Amino acid sequence: MNNLTNNTFNMKTIHVIFACVAFLVTGYVQAQTNVTVTGNVIDENRQPLGGVTVLVGKPPRALGTTDENGNFRFTVPANAPLVFRIIGYQQASQNTGSGRTNLRVQMAPDASALEEVVIRGYQKRSKELSTGSSFSLTAKDLPDVPTANIESLLQGRVPGMNIQLNTGAPGFRGSTQIRGLSTVSMTGSGDQSFLQPTSPLYVIDGIPMDADRATEYGFQQQGPGMSPLSLIPQEDIASIEILKDAQATSLYGSMAAYGVIIITTKRGNSPIPRVRYTHNSFVRTPPKLRETLGGNLERQLKLQQIYGNALDYFDIWRISQTGFLSDSLNAYWNNSTNWQDYYYRSRYNQSHNLHIDGGDQLFNYKANLGYFTDQGIIENTGFTRYNANLRMEYQPADRRFQIIGAAFAQMGKQSIGDGVGMLQTGIAENGLSSTLLPPPSFYQAGGSHSSALSTDNDNATRLIRSNLEANYMFIEGLRASTSLSYEFESKTEDTFTPAVANNQFARVYSYNGRTTQLYNRNSLNYSTSLNDSHNLFINFFNEFRIAGRQSSVSRQERSPNDQLQGPIGFDGYYSRGGGLLDDYTDERSASFAFAASYDFQKKYVVDLSYRLDGSSANGFENLYARNPAIGLRWNFDKEAFFENSEWLDYGALRMSWGVNIIPTGTLERIYGRFDITGNYNGQQGIGLDFDQIPNPDLKPKTNTQYNLGLDFSLFNGKIEVIYDTYYKKVENELFEQLLPNTTGFNKLFSNGAGIANYGHELFLMMRPLPLSSDFSLSFSLTGAYNKDVLLTLPEHYGGQFIRWEFDQNEHLQHVILRVGGSTLANYLRINDGVFPTDADVPVDPVTGLRYQTNGVAFAGGDPMLRDLNGDYILDGNDYRRTGNSQPLFTGGASIMLTYKNFNFNLNGSITGKRTILNNALAQRLGLMGNPFGNRAVVPLNDVDMWRQAGDVATYPYAYDYRRYGYIQPFRFDQNLWAEDGSYFKINNIVIGYMFDRDWISRWGLANLRVYVSGENLHTFSRYSGPNPENVTNMGRDVSSGYPVPRTYNLGLSVEF
Amino acid sequence: MRRYNITRSINTPRGAMHHIALIGALLCAICLGGCEKALDLPEEKEFISENINYGSKLLEPIIGRTNLMGQFNSDNSSLPLTFEIVNARYGDGRPVTDLFEVRPTYVWIDAYDGEEASLEEIEAKRRLEDRPLFEVRESGQFILWASTTNELIGPRPTDSSNLVQDIRHFDLKVSNSGGEVYLADFQLVPWRERPYFPYNDINPYTGEPAPDPIDPRNPNKQDYIRPRLSGVVGANSNNFLVSNNERKDVVVYIRPFEGGNGHNLRFKFMANDSTFINPDEFNETNWNELVHGFNTEKTEEYVQYDVAYPIPLVNIQTPYTNGGSASVNIEYSRRGFGGGLIYASFGLDFNIYRPGDWEIVFHFKNELPKFEDE
Repeated sequence: MNNLTNNTFNMKTIHVIFACVAFLVTGYVQAQTNVTVTGNVIDENRQPLGGVTVLVGKPPRALGTTDENGNFRFTVPANAPLVFRIIGYQQASQNTGSGRTNLRVQMAPDASALEEVVIRGYQKRSKELSTGSSFSLTAKDLPDVPTANIESLLQGRVPGMNIQLNTGAPGFRGSTQIRGLSTVSMTGSGDQSFLQPTSPLYVIDGIPMDADRATEYGFQQQGPGMSPLSLIPQEDIASIEILKDAQATSLYGSMAAYGVIIITTKRGNSPIPRVRYTHNSFVRTPPKLRETLGGNLERQLKLQQIYGNALDYFDIWRISQTGFLSDSLNAYWNNSTNWQDYYYRSRYNQSHNLHIDGGDQLFNYKANLGYFTDQGIIENTGFTRYNANLRMEYQPADRRFQIIGAAFAQMGKQSIGDGVGMLQTGIAENGLSSTLLPPPSFYQAGGSHSSALSTDNDNATRLIRSNLEANYMFIEGLRASTSLSYEFESKTEDTFTPAVANNQFARVYSYNGRTTQLYNRNSLNYSTSLNDSHNLFINFFNEFRIAGRQSSVSRQERSPNDQLQGPIGFDGYYSRGGGLLDDYTDERSASFAFAASYDFQKKYVVDLSYRLDGSSANGFENLYARNPAIGLRWNFDKEAFFENSEWLDYGALRMSWGVNIIPTGTLERIYGRFDITGNYNGQQGIGLDFDQIPNPDLKPKTNTQYNLGLDFSLFNGKIEVIYDTYYKKVENELFEQLLPNTTGFNKLFSNGAGIANYGHELFLMMRPLPLSSDFSLSFSLTGAYNKDVLLTLPEHYGGQFIRWEFDQNEHLQHVILRVGGSTLANYLRINDGVFPTDADVPVDPVTGLRYQTNGVAFAGGDPMLRDLNGDYILDGNDYRRTGNSQPLFTGGASIMLTYKNFNFNLNGSITGKRTILNNALAQRLGLMGNPFGNRAVVPLNDVDMWRQAGDVATYPYAYDYRRYGYIQPFRFDQNLWAEDGSYFKINNIVIGYMFDRDWISRWGLANLRVYVSGENLHTFSRYSGPNPENVTNMGRDVSSGYPVPRTYNLGLSVEF
Repeated sequence: MRRYNITRSINTPRGAMHHIALIGALLCAICLGGCEKALDLPEEKEFISENINYGSKLLEPIIGRTNLMGQFNSDNSSLPLTFEIVNARYGDGRPVTDLFEVRPTYVWIDAYDGEEASLEEIEAKRRLEDRPLFEVRESGQFILWASTTNELIGPRPTDSSNLVQDIRHFDLKVSNSGGEVYLADFQLVPWRERPYFPYNDINPYTGEPAPDPIDPRNPNKQDYIRPRLSGVVGANSNNFLVSNNERKDVVVYIRPFEGGNGHNLRFKFMANDSTFINPDEFNETNWNELVHGFNTEKTEEYVQYDVAYPIPLVNIQTPYTNGGSASVNIEYSRRGFGGGLIYASFGLDFNIYRPGDWEIVFHFKNELPKFEDE
């Protein structure tokens, strides 16, 4: 009882009272007998608190720290008072009197969250002195939800970081953007067009890592394409810090232009070795699939459609030519096959994680062994991860010298069937087959179906990374450190397509790639203080990196049979491969950075930093990219007028400016590409490749960012606010200009595009309940408003550029860039509804003809597509800029509620105001276009569709198949499909129970916690498609790709 | 024991609250209010391309009928665009005004479909509106209305000269809210009125009869409209009648006649002796569906209809048209050798643009068709 009420006391009172209590209760001073004290430290939410330093005696002497579950076990002199300290919490103390050897300590948060540590330029700095904008999360902020990709757990948690889980494919990552749009480069087309990924730089335990590695070449890349982030188990993560503004990121250089995410893995921290085992058993279920009319219903509907819309006897005659419409007694046509059922399924998965650690500050070690599997809700896909992460630290007692070693061994195995991973469009296509067709069997050796199910695909990414870090303090304040890391990643993909799936000839495909990175960082930093008022910190470091990549592909066609899966016996004429792919890289880079920080009484802080980045990939004109930054901070709570303030815990105002330069001028773009072209006069000729014109004046891309922030906390941490506003300017964006053929070249890479992003970010945390309550509640809200504006385009475009799309699916959903507007808008036909009757179709007063398209006049039930140019003909001119594919608002909400041993955690995320093109609905309605075809039919009762003359409807008549090809009522390039993609998603809910320690100790357990959790539970949205998040970053619905599953999990964490 | 006391916060020194309020107000002012202006962002405006153009700047409409001309290429400028004809002048600088004279002309208000049962029903689908003779519409297409005549707009010179002072020039101002672009030096060179089609009996420059294609310098010969003939056998020669450049057994005249009600159309069949054949001789002809006309009047000399001009009214496929032209087929049958029926037909695809009383005369110049059985 005491320790609960004590929490409300200030530190001094605690000291006094404990001293008294200790004295009174014990009554006598025991002789120097030692007792073993065990105990458990919990935080204000009754969550175990690890890393708490336990001290004993007077003056206090450190014994060690609590482990990850807040447990400790020390041998101390009897009756000695124990003191518990950890940054961010008020000091607590307990006495070991009267044989109390099992203690329970609850720590109260220190109002000043500013004593947290942040990492800047690989150096730990007090958050109180940081001028940049950043956001931190610790392991306990991450919900207990099994996931392959830790990014998904951050969704909605960090203001300004927009994470969209736009694929449910296991092992792949969604899209992550910090502070809006940073590029206008797009690749791919149609559904599969997407923005060049601009992911933040990930720094894992001090080693930078490129998270876009896998997706650099788009969805259709070769090789496994596994996200390197998928290889990090969430159980091994200690903290995550997200750096947002240029002051924070500029020290990380060019790669950090899109933000930095610093992940720190756990380290050993338990005097007695401890073993923790975490297990999750989870079921992933596919979302609601498309409703389909099966069997005879399908036949009846198709016949009705033909009878109702036939124009002449030919249609009726055609029924007799179409087996599955007329020959219903034929067993071959008399089926009701649920095709989707063959592809989508619920799957049971598990994960196991064993975490062993031990040691103290002198020497500690950690090992994390994990297994995670996610078999994927689409048949023949899946992801499995094995990891072994090891780490040790040695620091002699004088703390002058420290050495840290770590090794990570990770392996991800993946199967993508015959798809391309992130998108499994082949599956969706097969799922649309007519239900009247017989189910798959050996007899029905259908190509695409067999291909989807029997293609044997095996991807593996194996990653080994070792880090070694040492630092030494020469004199007080001057510390040198060096860090070395080598990473080797091997990527293989083996695909065997059996004969049945490939026109009766088996095929063997093999990809083999590797990437390596040798990384070295040396730094020298010095901190000094003058009169305790003037504090100076100087940090100088350099980084060297050698990155290599090499991959090759071979494809053997027509191997002898399905049993012999290579490598001998194939048709050499059709087979290909063996050479290097053009992603070959051998890059050297060197960087030099200098940072200085000065503060006056921790009240006024000035940060200056400058970094030079040089890379062998840059041209000589811009060999070094220069990244300067300035930051200012005013801790106004330390001013005299707040000195006696009871309500203000801390308050600070931050301002920063910084620049990140990203070289885009590869050697090829600057100097051109030269090919061996043939002979001239007996000499080998080497000529310029005419695809692109070399541009020696190419400038590097420049990100300039201004940030203004305000942090404060009120009423002892009951309200905590972080507010930032920023202006980010991207200039000299690389722009691929297509050239007229008279130039002799196809394209020119030039600068000239620019984007501005500006917005506001708010983090609000409330802990409304008093600490004395049995309940503890913390409620946090994050919100970010970001608006992007296209600033410039290359001059000769005159302010507008249209990226035309002519993909094989005829989606024709073009993208338009117009200066002054939101950067990425759609260029579509404008739909004004449906013509209720024929008489509503306008007539050209000059020609007397009705409004028409493809030579056919519109009629009642046809889409009212606006004739923008006024010529009474719908053609390629009738397009208009509409919508904005980027969300204006992103954010989330999180509730953490604890009652005694129960805890409840809910996280939600919000995305607001973006345009989504509902291609799923377009496709669904378009299924009715050909009743003679072998596609399924869907019920349309729920669709507000025109059915008879006079109906005022949203969607045009779907059954008029004779005019379908001309009118194309469900053409994708109309804004009928443009919907508001705002949603609120319940990302996850966790309900956990921690067993009483006394009760479980009889089984020798130190800790036992069980929990149930669910992920992706519900999405509230007005969007009429399947999932407003399952869209590309250009806002196209890709639910035909890999749908995002729902997860139900039962988990257990036990500690010995 | 001290507790959190929210009310205490009100008692904090005034200065502190003042500062907080000041900072808050400052932030709000910076962030929410003047933000967008302060950032000096470019203004979003409609796009108008410098490269907008036309397929051709030479317009050659035919007077007396509705012409829709111009292949406008907006180069993806933001639509709709506003078009304005400016600086209309002759090549020598004289201003052009005749083009913009306002005259009533027919405009369609509903879609003609060929199923109208009366003239009133047709007329209800169009109305007379006052329009300039020449104008440009929102689509960038130029319109020369059917209300034009050779008198209102002087056509190109009859001597086929093409002198700059005779050519009407104008510039076009194209604009949207994003700006304006001028397209200079369009040329309008109208053809004189051709009231009907086929017009191969008219010289398009002069309006005089066209010369005979075989013997163009002979002033006593001219070209004629030629009908379609199928299985028509001459009564005397027993040969199939033909109509081509060399031999013209049958020709057609499309000509106005006197005494109609102003919107009549007559079909006549003239024999080689300039008498008229009784239409009843063409016994297989479906007179009621020959043209989209009403009040059919059949005499021994002609068949007459009340029609709406122009013929056809709209360029669509109907029972009376082949799309762009009205199509008539005159058929008859007779017994052949062995008693079987032999069908013969002749006809014409034609347009008539100028309202009035018109007759279409099929002239059997050399001999009558053979109606007798074999």
